[in-house]
This record gives sequence, C-alpha cells and structure tokens, in this order.
Amino acid sequence: MGFEEVRFEQDSEKAIHNKPLQKALVNVTNRFRTARNKASEDVPNWDNLRAAAREIKKETIENLDKYLLMLEERVKRAGGKVHWAKDAEEASQIIVNIAREGNVKSVVKSKSMATEEIELNNSFEDAGIKVIETDLGEYIIQLAGERPSHIIAPAIHKTKEDISKLFSAKLGIPRYDKPEELTKVAREILRSEFLNADMGVSGANFAVAETGTIVIVENEGNARLTTTVPKIHVALVGIEKLIPRYEDLSLFLTVLARSATGQKSSTYVSFITGPKRSTDIDGPEEFHLVLLDNGRSKILASEETRESLYCIRCGACLNNCPVYRKVGGHSYGWVYSGPIGAIITPQLMGIDKAPELPFASSLCGACKDVCPVKIDFPKVLLELRKNVVESKKGSTGIGERFGIRLWRFTVEHESIYKITNKLSYYFQLPWKGRNGKLNSLPYPFSRWTDQRDFPAVAKKTFRERWKNNKGETG
Amino acid sequence: MSNNSREEILHTIRKGLEGVGKNEGKVLADANRNFHSEAEEVHKRIDESQSALITQFAGELKEVNTNVIETGSKNEIKKSLLGLIKEKELKSFSIWESQFLKEINLKQELKDAGLKLVTAKNKNRIANSDIGITEVDYAIADTGTLVLLTDKNQPRSVSLLPPIHLAIVRPENLVRNIGDLFVILKSRLENIEDITSCMTFITGPSRTADIELSLTLGVHGPKELFVLTL
Ligand code: SF4
Repeated sequence: MGFEEVRFEQDSEKAIHNKPLQKALVNVTNRFRTARNKASEDVPNWDNLRAAAREIKKETIENLDKYLLMLEERVKRAGGKVHWAKDAEEASQIIVNIAREGNVKSVVKSKSMATEEIELNNSFEDAGIKVIETDLGEYIIQLAGERPSHIIAPAIHKTKEDISKLFSAKLGIPRYDKPEELTKVAREILRSEFLNADMGVSGANFAVAETGTIVIVENEGNARLTTTVPKIHVALVGIEKLIPRYEDLSLFLTVLARSATGQKSSTYVSFITGPKRSTDIDGPEEFHLVLLDNGRSKILASEETRESLYCIRCGACLNNCPVYRKVGGHSYGWVYSGPIGAIITPQLMGIDKAPELPFASSLCGACKDVCPVKIDFPKVLLELRKNVVESKKGSTGIGERFGIRLWRFTVEHESIYKITNKLSYYFQLPWKGRNGKLNSLPYPFSRWTDQRDFPAVAKKTFRERWKNNKGETG
Repeated sequence: MSNNSREEILHTIRKGLEGVGKNEGKVLADANRNFHSEAEEVHKRIDESQSALITQFAGELKEVNTNVIETGSKNEIKKSLLGLIKEKELKSFSIWESQFLKEINLKQELKDAGLKLVTAKNKNRIANSDIGITEVDYAIADTGTLVLLTDKNQPRSVSLLPPIHLAIVRPENLVRNIGDLFVILKSRLENIEDITSCMTFITGPSRTADIELSLTLGVHGPKELFVLTL
C-alpha cells in the first residue's frame, strides 16, 4: 500500500469502468455540491469571506517560521510537548516512541489525512501496538485494507452490501443490511475500544499560533472521544495548518463547514489547548503536538506554487472537478485526490513520482471558483506542467518537440501551409469514422484517439469558405 | 534528533521565504483591536435583539435534529426534566456544577427523584449512565450551536459519553453569531494561561453519512440532544 509512483492513466481507466463507483461518485459529489452552493449563497458576502480567508493564509505562510515558534511556545506554556518531524519516517518514529514510553497497548485514531500521509498505522502495527480507526468511514476502510477515496466521505466507493459483507467477514457477526444497523454495530465495538485505549491520535483542521490551540472539526464525535478518554493525546499537524489569531477561527470555521458539507456548523468542533489542567476532572494527562513538514517547507520556495499550502482540506474542489467526478479518489495514487491532489502530491512527493497528475485536469477552473481560500489552480497546474516538462521525465520526447517545430515551420510559410492542408485532407480519409471525425489513428496519434475523437481536417479552409460566401455567415 | 529537525525545518522555511518579508514585524497584525470596546458594542446589539435571537436559535436547533423544550421558570425546568426522566426511564445521571445549576439545586432534585449520581472521574461508569446535564457557557443563535467550556466544575465527558445530553440555555448566554462569540472570548482572555483546556461546539446530536450518504444519528456521541431554554 506504500507510495511508489502514481499511475493515473491506468487507475483512472479502471475507475471509469467500475459501475458502482461511477454511481457513488455522482451521488456524493452532487450531494455535496448542491449543499455547498446553497450554503454559500446564504451568506451575502461569501466572496469577501473567501478573499479574507486567503489573505490570512497568505500572511500565515509568509511568516510561517514566526508563527510556528509562537505556536510552540504557547503549547508548551499550556503544558503540552512539541515535536518537529521533517519527514514521514521521523513523524512515525516520534509517535511510536511516545506510545512506548507511555506503555501504550492500544491506540484509537480519529480522521487525519496527515496520519494517512505518514502511514502511521503500519508503524504501530510493526511495533506491535494495536491501532483502530474510529471515524466510521475510516473504520470501514481499515477493515477492508484500503485507502480513503474522498477527503470528507472516505468510504464512499463502497456500497452498503459491501460493508455488510465486510463487517460479517471481519467481525464474525451476522449480516446486517441497513446503514443504521451497521452504524450501531460499529458504535458498540468502537465504544469499548475507546474505553480501553491508552492513547488517542488525532489530526487538526487548524492550529492557532496566538493561543496554542488545535481545532478539530467533525460530525461523529469520535474525535472528541479520541481527545478526551485516553490518558495520552497526540495531534499530528502539518506545518501549513496554522492560523495566526484566535478570532480568525470565526471566519475559517464558517467557510470550512459550508464548503465541505454545506452545514452552517459541523456537529462538533473541539478547541484543545494543552493537556487537562490539574483541576480538571477528565481529559488526557499528556498532550503532544507533532509538527509535520514532509516536503511542505520546500514548497515555500516557489512563489508560483506557494499558495498550494493555503488549502484547508474542505473537499469542495473534488466535488466540482469534472475529472475527479469521473475517476474518483484512488486514481490519484495517494492520500490527496482531486485538484488539490493534482497539485500537492507532485510537490510533496517530487514531480518525478507523479508526473501525470498536473495533467489530470481540463483547466476549467471550477476548483478555483469554489475554493474557500481561492487557490489559483490553473496557474499552479501550468507551472507544475512546466516543471514536469523541464524535468525530462514528462511527456515531451524528441518526437513531440520535432512535431512542434515542424508545425511552426509550416504555419510560418503560407504556400506550404496551403499545400499541407489539402494533402492532409486526402491523407486522413482512410481513418475518418462515421461521425465525420477521426476515431482511430495509428501510433503515436493513437494515444489521442484511444480515448477521444480528433476533429477531421475540413475540405475547404475557413478562408476559402469566407471568400465563397462573400463574407456572409451561414 | 527532533531538535535537529526543528532547526532544519525552520531553516528551509526561512530560505524559501527570502525576499518575501513584506510582513516583517507585523506578526499578529490587528493585535491592537480593542476587544473590550468591541465586546461592549456586541453586548448592546445582542440585548436589543434578544427575543428574536431566542426564536432564531430554537429554529436552528430543530433543523439539526435537536429537541427543544421551552420553559418559563426554574420550577418548570424541574418539571420538564422529571417528565423526561419518566418518559425515557432514566436511572442515572451526571451533571455540571455551574453556578446556575447549583442555584436551582438540580442535582439534589434528581437524587430525590431516585436517580443515581455518577461522576466524570470514572469513564466506564459515566459511559454507562443514562443522561448528562450541562449548562452552556454560550449559545450561537444563527447556527444553533452550544458552546461549552471545560473547567473544574464542568468536565468534558458529561456532554459526550452518556447516550442523552441535555443542555440548559439561558437568554443571557445567547450571541448572534460566531463572530460575536470570538469577540467576547477574546475580550475575556486577559491571560493566555487562563484559556480552557477544551472548548466544545455542539450543533445537534452525533451524526454520520459515511454509509451511502444515509444520515444516521448517534454514531459515537450522544444519540439524542435536548435543549432546555429559559
Ligand atoms: S484546495 Fe481549496 S477547495 Fe480544495 S480542499 Fe483545499 S481548501 Fe478546499
């Protein structure tokens, strides 16, 4: 399951032919889209809120070193411990060590993309420590040994029949077919896991520099349980999750809930500052904040793509992306999918590991229009495409470069251009399909026509037709 | 090991940001907002619209599957609660010891009604109790959100582990929106050290739509949420 290389072309091909997946994708993205649209229209100055959120993220990222140090100092002052992890391996090591020192036998986890990113569960298992995902969707995914396919709805690619079979096989229980029954089964099993666990691992949606507070947004309550019941709480937080001021939360929570699920407010939001105080009756005795870099600090160096770090992981760009809506989350090959995956994966993992992803977009810009922090996707994608090409592992080979030169030569010489036009009209005839388009050309052009038709060259050029019609249209 | 990484990460960030520095020295800009006068203003606005806020709040709660019980007096609180206990056959409870809840002596009333008191100290016991009772610190009218602050009298588990959560909301707890709330919180935060270990927003009972997007209540937290307004 580890990350090797993204195979977008292969995996998306499979996804497109997977009927239940196609149905699920339409359902989930339509549902979230409608809800988000309504929720954003309810707010009279929605676009101003997005602009303000973007401004604050810009300020944060451009002063990231200062805000990180402030966060560190405030968390310590509240009685928490702060750890810095430069990559996935170090982050896993730190967390497993905290578990060992605390004599931890079993760990409960709430939903966190960062822990997926570092594949923390594998490290726990290698260390002989039991780890349970507690978000219902993540629990299903963990039982199935798969990866989440949507930021907000991780198990959306599975039908209730799939889940019923899975629960029955893995948990040794009879078949239940209704979502309510399956949910009830999960509640009972997971409740006892919570009460037995020695450590809870969470992510965070935001970390507030000014107060040292981490903020977790959810609907189920499993993150509250994870951060309340076990005696140790570890939060793994990407360094880009910072926001400067406490009051900035009012803006970010408003745009996050509405962009993600169309709710006015998510069911639960927890604002956690350090471990329990000595006078508190419950809550964890230890609080550890693990700050994860894993490639993020390198992204800062590029002015063109720096804004990729503004993302607050709401999922709106996925739901609105014509590509994601067809190919689903797994095609993107790693934890982040959709437009945000297409820009963040190549930057975090290295452009040579995911050279196809910046091309997995039609550049329609629907993502940019809905993004609550207004990430300029087309701009970032084009910059990354340029990087791919320059890194040589990209798609332009000698052939493509030669072709483009030839094209340039042709269009620069009028008489040659005219002759070429005529010739290609007759030359193409053997491949012309019934719909008047070219639908299967020989290699290398087959790489285009395998997936879509190519428009045929017309018999008369536009200039000729214009002359014949004397400038009249129709 | 960890220390080296800290320096390394900070170094990479600083190098990457070379030439940006526009915001130099302006970290936490806006820190000079005067939250005390802003809060005064906010309170004035809230007072002007209080009865409309109560209506709005109750409407939003119903949108998120919350049962609203409107009461007029302290006596009615007790009556409604005893009614609920009978209806749901509740046998044990946990309760916050906030000023107001002490004043109306709800704990004793419930004990007298035969219910067993459970403390949040024992997670297994409170998980097996029937109802948790809290009084909100704030309530946000335009989203139907309860705001609970943890302290020595207000443990987190009471609104989390029992299958039913009942929260009492007094009119003076209401704010118009989340913007109001953070102005007020900030104006009261004299000392960063005084911040609560855990603040919780609750908007409706626990829910999930992870199986085929079908809405199911009570997946992890309380299955039922009651709000008693005064
Ligand atoms: S890139 Fe924007 S729209 Fe996409 S998940 Fe991030 S914040 Fe949401």
